Amino acid sequence: MSNLEKYNGVFRDVFMVEDAVLNDAFDNKSVDGWDSVKQLALTTALEDTFDIMLDAEDILELTSYIKGKEILRKYEVEL
Amino acid sequence: MFLNLDQKPPQSVAAVDDSRISVTYGDIVSFAEEFRCILPKRTLIFIMATNTIGSMLGYTSCLSDGIVPLVLSAHTEKDLYGHLRDLYRPEYLWIPSDMEYEFGYERVFSSHGYSLVRTGLTPPDLYSDLALLLPTSGSTGSPKLVRHSYRNIEANAENVSRMFGITPEFRAMAILPMHYTMGLSVIASHLYSGATVLLCGKSMLDKGFWSMLRDGRATILTGVPYSFEILSKMRFFRMDLPDLRIITQGGGRMSDELFRACADYAARTGRQFIATYGQTEGTARMAYLPAEQAQTKTGSIGIAEPGGMLSIVDDSGAETFDGEATGEMVYRGENVTLGYATCPEDLMKGDENRGVLRTGDIARRDADGCYYIIGRMKRFLKIFGLRIGLDEVEHIVKSAFDTDCLCSGTDDMLTVRITNPEIKDSVLDLIVEKTKLFHKNIEVLYVDRIERNEAGKAILNKQ
Repeated sequence: MSNLEKYNGVFRDVFMVEDAVLNDAFDNKSVDGWDSVKQLALTTALEDTFDIMLDAEDILELTSYIKGKEILRKYEVEL
Repeated sequence: MFLNLDQKPPQSVAAVDDSRISVTYGDIVSFAEEFRCILPKRTLIFIMATNTIGSMLGYTSCLSDGIVPLVLSAHTEKDLYGHLRDLYRPEYLWIPSDMEYEFGYERVFSSHGYSLVRTGLTPPDLYSDLALLLPTSGSTGSPKLVRHSYRNIEANAENVSRMFGITPEFRAMAILPMHYTMGLSVIASHLYSGATVLLCGKSMLDKGFWSMLRDGRATILTGVPYSFEILSKMRFFRMDLPDLRIITQGGGRMSDELFRACADYAARTGRQFIATYGQTEGTARMAYLPAEQAQTKTGSIGIAEPGGMLSIVDDSGAETFDGEATGEMVYRGENVTLGYATCPEDLMKGDENRGVLRTGDIARRDADGCYYIIGRMKRFLKIFGLRIGLDEVEHIVKSAFDTDCLCSGTDDMLTVRITNPEIKDSVLDLIVEKTKLFHKNIEVLYVDRIERNEAGKAILNKQ
């Protein structure tokens, strides 16, 4: 499975959505129920999936599908 | 006046919120007067709360002016709000101004981002000492309301103030929602003490929370177990926060590991970690573990708060106040609420508890008089006559493995949901070992996640 597939899989599982809605508009403003519980679950799932440990700063920045990709790049995860 | 607010230095800052607007004690007093002119009678109102100055001013004004509020989240589900409105018929609502259209009533008055709207409904009669209504926490469907007296709220504020040694210099981070009993308790106890409340409506995973904690120079932070999980994830225990002196926890038992992390952090950095226990029925708080004992009494809720008394009623019905014992924990104090309401007629009821609360929690008291909650009276299964405490099983699993856990079941099957697929067999073995149940009476299910609300409580109908 490619890293992008794994990345999308994390979002699918955490937010219970289909791949089709995962785009530039998928963020904590537009997604209903993107609260701290979800954000923590997202953080943990990304850390487990890619075997990384996010800095506090990056956990706060993890507010959209797009930003998540940028953050992973910092941890040398190629999507 | 409510919480003696008119006796604080009028120029002192009482509260600051996310918008960086602040109000002084003088502002609170004059706002309550203004509110009284607009609404000069005792009636029932719903406050659709957010952690903002406008929301708080509605609360302090109602309590000062003899208006009885039911405090709900501004984001309460439509159906639930509609149900409660139709049942209790509040004459007015105090709502965020930007939600006026949604509620659709005529505005009477507007200030600090909040609006008073008239519903045209005829409110029920209200018992003379009824001060405040809050829904019971953790319930699904139609909640029972908890009826508070004026003295309940004052006693809670006094007790909590003594418990933490709150002074006017305190700056309290108020992150728990205002519609939640502990959230209100943080606000009331610090206002009573003439301190400053930092009202934060942001998620703890929002930059706004962290900048308020730091730049707002918070000295005390109160959270529920879930809050401390976030703090831990955010490497809070290694952060440099020079102003912070006390961290306090309530709202349910946290894992021993996290408890130790909090206690060690406090000891290492010269701060205080104070674990507390409470329920809406006891106006938020009833017990606390003095900071000096945080490192030696892991997982304990400690002793009764100042002004209160704890005891244990064992299976034979005998009540004891000291020595080792296990049984239902009972609390006595002026913060024990009047009772429940399930219909508007109940708002005329007087004090049904008379200062004594059977908590419904099973506790163990050690030889030093410290209490440990080990389960809920009603969260028990009886399999082959074995009493299986669901909270206890959850706690055992969560302490031994890296997983979330939720137990439920019938009288012949214990169902354990976990969120880590690797450990199903080990979890099963551990539970067999600890409970003496047979393998065939336990099913371990793997689930993606356990749905929890903002307070970290499992939402039972969503699993």
